[in-house]
Amino acid sequence: MGRRRRRRRVDPADAARALPEAIAALSQTLPAGPSPETFRRAKFDRPEAAPALWRLLFRVLSPQLADGASASFSPEAQVRSVKLALRTQGYPRRALAQLPDDGSQGGRELLLALAWLLARGPLPERLLTQNRVQLGDEMPVCECEALASPGPPAPSVEADGCVDIRHLQWLMGKLRFRWRNLMASQQEQCALLGKIHSYTRGCHSDRSLGHLSVTETELLRDPEGGRQLLRRLERENARLQAALEWRRRELVFWRWMVGGRGPQWSAARTALREAVGQDLAALRQACERGGGCSLAQPHGPHRLVRTEAGAPGGPGLRAPEVIEALRSQEARLEVVLRQLQGQCRQELARLVGAPPGPVWILPPGR
Amino acid sequence: MDTAFTLLAGSSRRLVAELRDALDSCAERQRQLERSLRVSRRLLRAWEPAETLAPEPTPGPETNEEAPSAACIPSPQDLKELELLTQALEKAVRVRKGISKAGEGNKAPSLKSGSIATSPATRASYPPSTSHRAGSRASETKPPRGILQTRVPTKDLPERRLLSVGDQACMGQGAGATKPKSGLRNEQIVLSAASQAPEAFTLKDKGILLQLPEAFRKAASRNSRLWAQLSSTQTSDSVDAATTAKTQFLQKMQTTSGWPGPRLSATEVEAEVRHLQKACLLLRLRMGEELTAVVEQQLGPWPEGRFPRASLPCGGGADPIWSPQLLLYSSTQELQTLAALRLRVAMLHQQIHLEKVLMAELLPLVSKQEPLGPPWLALCRAVHSLLCEGGQRFLTILREDKPAD
Repeated sequence: MGRRRRRRRVDPADAARALPEAIAALSQTLPAGPSPETFRRAKFDRPEAAPALWRLLFRVLSPQLADGASASFSPEAQVRSVKLALRTQGYPRRALAQLPDDGSQGGRELLLALAWLLARGPLPERLLTQNRVQLGDEMPVCECEALASPGPPAPSVEADGCVDIRHLQWLMGKLRFRWRNLMASQQEQCALLGKIHSYTRGCHSDRSLGHLSVTETELLRDPEGGRQLLRRLERENARLQAALEWRRRELVFWRWMVGGRGPQWSAARTALREAVGQDLAALRQACERGGGCSLAQPHGPHRLVRTEAGAPGGPGLRAPEVIEALRSQEARLEVVLRQLQGQCRQELARLVGAPPGPVWILPPGR
Repeated sequence: MDTAFTLLAGSSRRLVAELRDALDSCAERQRQLERSLRVSRRLLRAWEPAETLAPEPTPGPETNEEAPSAACIPSPQDLKELELLTQALEKAVRVRKGISKAGEGNKAPSLKSGSIATSPATRASYPPSTSHRAGSRASETKPPRGILQTRVPTKDLPERRLLSVGDQACMGQGAGATKPKSGLRNEQIVLSAASQAPEAFTLKDKGILLQLPEAFRKAASRNSRLWAQLSSTQTSDSVDAATTAKTQFLQKMQTTSGWPGPRLSATEVEAEVRHLQKACLLLRLRMGEELTAVVEQQLGPWPEGRFPRASLPCGGGADPIWSPQLLLYSSTQELQTLAALRLRVAMLHQQIHLEKVLMAELLPLVSKQEPLGPPWLALCRAVHSLLCEGGQRFLTILREDKPAD
């Protein structure tokens, strides 16, 4: 157990500074982060700290909201939203739900909640990723993100009642039409991107990129927009820097949060939990990376770069490889769909009954 | 007969909800695409002159090294004049060197040439006095600044106009594709807001003259560096210690929860199931079995309540940290093929999901009804179309009429 633990001889003055510096970094990397002093007050459950922490948790738990949009939610609405979000994520402590909705109390509990969120995953990085400034023309090389979005909410009991199956057929037709439109628009956008990339070749200071993206060209066309983009970029840089600082210093924060270990903890039990936890995490990571399996494919949005014909190009994915991977995905999915449809055909044939039932003439052209 | 087509309330609500969700996600993609299309189309048209031309009367050309981004971005008009001036300077350099294209005569002088390399030839009568001044200006080149400065020393104004007027008569031909670019980028260009540029800026003609402002370039490269650093700080000694402390903290939270026994949230269950599905899939692949076609069907239907989509064996965790990655393409057609395939894969995922939902709701319906009556056959036909033909085609049912009694 002691193998992984590092004991450091720390100068008391450094130790005293370390915690506020860690919290300052945390506060700067999170959106709407309160001051280190507020954090300290929260730990002692001072009431004046509570509103700031409710606001912080609201921003952190609803990152899809634009920067100024939080203001349109009343304090009570923010409190309720935070409680719901934490409950959905499995927050283990009952005390949070019992805090008053007016947001006047609960600094200490909220601090625990924030720490709980931070402990479970790379929260600052995730928030930064979700709202990051996109400078390039990006295309995801997989459909992970789209698929990860939740389906429709379970439909509530409505007065609508029954629905005609022909309405479903109509909806299906509408869906097909939308996909066709989407395809056409997408092709046009690619053609335009191709032109913009061509026309600005050699303009980028970064040689590995070569040409400008739409965003970069747009900032040249629209100086005011360009200034705003630059400001956003600089703000993001500050938060990124703070996130790196936080990662360097966060240990002292965790020691502050954990405090002394309670009497019910035994060294052996701790070691066991650690070991199991690490194994699970490693297994999870291996699964997530697709560990060596041929199906593993790159993931996430990539910046599009147009290379000149014949030029070898630098680091990065090549389009032909992605196309190959997508083609095999397409083929596999088509097989699945056809199999499902085949199952339906068999099942329906069975339900209708063998001859001498009615004769089914299938539509031509398959 | 109409009642045959009516579905039970419960099924229909779920089906309509799913279809509406599919329609909505399509609509959302379309909206985003339209936004991008608007921006791209606008970029490829002639650019409107910017509201804020930035000619600031400053004492000298070397006022600031690190110009604020506001003043650095040139208006299309400025770029126009920039090009006129550069062409004049090019010409001046050539005249000085004795390389003369003077004999070629003047074709249609216009800024609408496709690229600098193909613009028409110049006229012979280039005023030597102008070339002298242009030459001296050429020797004032500052070190590469990288941006197009737009400042007007007032003392140069009359000279400027002369040059511009002269230039309109003798449109220069760039010595080569690279020369005008470096000419623009290396010199402190001084422009007059007074002279009118004849043509607006188009990306097609002048795109390669563009350059990003210094402030932006620095911020962008810092941004890229920081992201790369952030996504690589996952393994270090201090991270291990922090991970240990975090685990301790989480355990402590659990034991002081105030709830009896452990609880799992809906999100956690979903996440765990996704992980398990991925693990299952990978295990099967490692055993060399056939792929998704078999596995997806055998993983079973989803419980009521939430309707998660099928999971993908894609190499991404629940929260990947972004880091800069490139996708290189070599032709527009390649890009279009890639994009089309991506959409096709997305559409197939959606179709498969809808197929499963339809199967789950419609097949029981067919089996519950009174068989062989005309209403039931109509329902079967409709269900068959939805389930087996994607709602696109219908089969024909032939039935022997019973002879009337």
